[in-house]
Amino acid sequence: MGVRNFWREYRRYKIGLIGLAFLAFFVGMAVFAPLIAPAEAYYRWSDITYWEEYPKGVPPEWINFFSAKKSATQFVITRPKFVEKNITFTYNYQFDVPPSDIIIKVSTSATDEERQLSIHVSRPDGKQLDNIVRMMHKGEKTRIIFTSNDVRDWLIAWAREYETDENLEKILGREAFVNPLLILFSKTQPGILLGTAENLKGQYNVIVQLSPPTATTAKAVFTGSVFGLLGTDTLGRDLLVGIVWGSRLALLIGLLTAVLSETVGMVYGVVSAYKGGVVDEIMQRIIETIASLPFLPILIILSYTMQPTVWNLALLMVIFFWVGPVKTVRSMALQLKEQPYVEAAKALGASGWRIIARHITPQILPYFFASVALSVPGAILTEAGISFLMGAAGVSEPTWGRILHDAQRFSATINGMWWWVLSPGLLISLAGLTFVLLGSALDRILNPKLRR
Amino acid sequence: MGYGSYLLFRSANAVLVLIAVVLVSSIIFNASVEKEMVATIEESISIRIASPIYRGLNSTERQELMNLWREQEYKRHGLDQPYWIRVLIQSRDVITLNLGEATIMRSPTGASEVLQIILEALPWTIMLFTTATIIQILLGLYLGLKAAQGVGGLLDRSVSVFAMLSNSLPMWWFGMLMIFALSYGLNLFPSSGKVSIPPPSDPFLYVIDVLWHMALPLITVVFVSFGAWTYITRNIVVGTLQEDFVMAARAKGMPERKVIYGHVLRSASPPIVTMSIFSLLGSLGGAIITESVFSWPGMGRLYWIALQSGDVKVLLGLTFITTFLYLVATVAVDLVYGFLDPRVKVGLTGRKR
Repeated sequence: MGVRNFWREYRRYKIGLIGLAFLAFFVGMAVFAPLIAPAEAYYRWSDITYWEEYPKGVPPEWINFFSAKKSATQFVITRPKFVEKNITFTYNYQFDVPPSDIIIKVSTSATDEERQLSIHVSRPDGKQLDNIVRMMHKGEKTRIIFTSNDVRDWLIAWAREYETDENLEKILGREAFVNPLLILFSKTQPGILLGTAENLKGQYNVIVQLSPPTATTAKAVFTGSVFGLLGTDTLGRDLLVGIVWGSRLALLIGLLTAVLSETVGMVYGVVSAYKGGVVDEIMQRIIETIASLPFLPILIILSYTMQPTVWNLALLMVIFFWVGPVKTVRSMALQLKEQPYVEAAKALGASGWRIIARHITPQILPYFFASVALSVPGAILTEAGISFLMGAAGVSEPTWGRILHDAQRFSATINGMWWWVLSPGLLISLAGLTFVLLGSALDRILNPKLRR
Repeated sequence: MGYGSYLLFRSANAVLVLIAVVLVSSIIFNASVEKEMVATIEESISIRIASPIYRGLNSTERQELMNLWREQEYKRHGLDQPYWIRVLIQSRDVITLNLGEATIMRSPTGASEVLQIILEALPWTIMLFTTATIIQILLGLYLGLKAAQGVGGLLDRSVSVFAMLSNSLPMWWFGMLMIFALSYGLNLFPSSGKVSIPPPSDPFLYVIDVLWHMALPLITVVFVSFGAWTYITRNIVVGTLQEDFVMAARAKGMPERKVIYGHVLRSASPPIVTMSIFSLLGSLGGAIITESVFSWPGMGRLYWIALQSGDVKVLLGLTFITTFLYLVATVAVDLVYGFLDPRVKVGLTGRKR
């Protein structure tokens, strides 16, 4: 048909162009993944230590556009003021919802002495919190986390005097559910322990005192109550990383499976049709048997025994999907077989394979390309389904299906973490849709019967 | 070939395929499960022997005890016979409809016969998926017909767009979204299970409770699937409306309704009926993933539990039944098609050239 003509035809179909736009989007995402999200985050997806300083289970930042109450975003201070034995972190709090946590990390020069470390906070309303934590510590690194039990208990004790007896009764025995950050960033009014007191905006100074003072570096992370473009999951993992890198696997698996299964199916169908007779019958029976196998259970159980890597899954899917195109290809090849030019070629002494390769197959190629595109969504969906059921099973890297598996495992739906469920599934659907659009456009061009 | 002998030929063919499928499944399931089973047994034996009760034994006595346990466990799980014998015996059993007893699983009522376990799950799948299939067929037919009548119009184009969109949605993900929106968000429906805990004792209320639990999965299945039906119906009807006999009928002055329902639908019925048969019989297999999302106790979920427990008997039984239904559908479809579309019958009788 000629590439130029083909492109002119293709341009007529809006859905094809939309499909191309989507395809460009996904390919761009896959190719530029290392620029959008660091590779290390991808490979260390299952490593909890990497995600230490990320907020756990928070929605994306852009919801601040849509709510009256602005949630605190992630704020990191790496260069506090060092004055004698005080390390001061200044935080100007102007949000309506406080940070989800405060993590303070201090490194000192190595020594065997025990040193004292304590934390003080001065609030905008003039109230001071002294000696929030007092610990003796040895060695190089120390970490204070505000949502830990010690700090929380300390904050509760500090806030008691501002709280009504009635409210104190309410939290009795349920101290573990009190949010320490809400205590810290609220006015000293009744309701402070329940989180219903008013918000206190202004400058907060978090002062770390180390004696003797030999701190080399100190860092404070005010983890956001919102984070990033796509939010985080319960383990603090930035979903943008998983989504963007997951596109690589999705596209790869989809295309690989589609191309392989369609190719095998096409060759099988053509050969079966050409040979005819008994060979054809036998080949068709084999097809029927494979097509009747319950592919999902077998796929699942085979994934149990094999490592659920991209390649294994693609291979398994090909084993089931190749039977798909055979029927159609065979009927096309049967018709083509009767064409006069085939007869002529045979009379000239062309071998069977030559006829298949030179005369029959090229006629089937248009159908082939359209059906490759149309079978990609099936592959992507199947891989997503299997990953959803099986989870990571020893492989660290995330795919969209695995992210959803974790979402289900950590009850994202019941806990209202919509961002965790929405983005992976949406992208799975869009990726599938892309190839449906592409395939439909191709189909309409190359299949003259459907031409408008 | 006459009609009858064709039927015989297809049925014999289907039986062969069924036997082959059971054999292949048996091979695969047994191979996969065996490895897991052996590993689990070894682990449980080593845990058992580590208990302080056996501390006083010397090493030969320990070995003997462990071997004894190993034998018992192997026997219990049916691993005492060599692989191929197991494969063949199990296949033979299943094919002769002796589905046997489950090794590990039990039905909700405590029964251990495989058939019983399956039969307890089947009604739930029928309730959900068959109902959903019926709804989506009717909905799809109606909308597809309406869309075809107004070709190129708003309804028609929306139908095509919607069909493409809903086809790309993973059904189970959409189920999660539904749980979000209607269960967590609006608190209209429960998020899982077939009945509340504790279930209401009054039978009428019990039925209502089940229906209430069924609402979300039903909405999910129908929403994701009816688009395809609508699209296919629309295409078939559009094609049929272009036929000459439709123009002739209209020229005769026949009311439009009669043209559509009397002539067009009858001509379009072969593919629609065959697809319906396939869908209805296929619905009996349930859907493994969607049922798991909703914890709906149907055949799909049974399959999943069997896969996780490694209960080969149940797996084979389920495979047998679902494949059997699929093949029945294939044969039925062939026959019904020949019955509805006389042109095909001519092709059948003219088969042997």
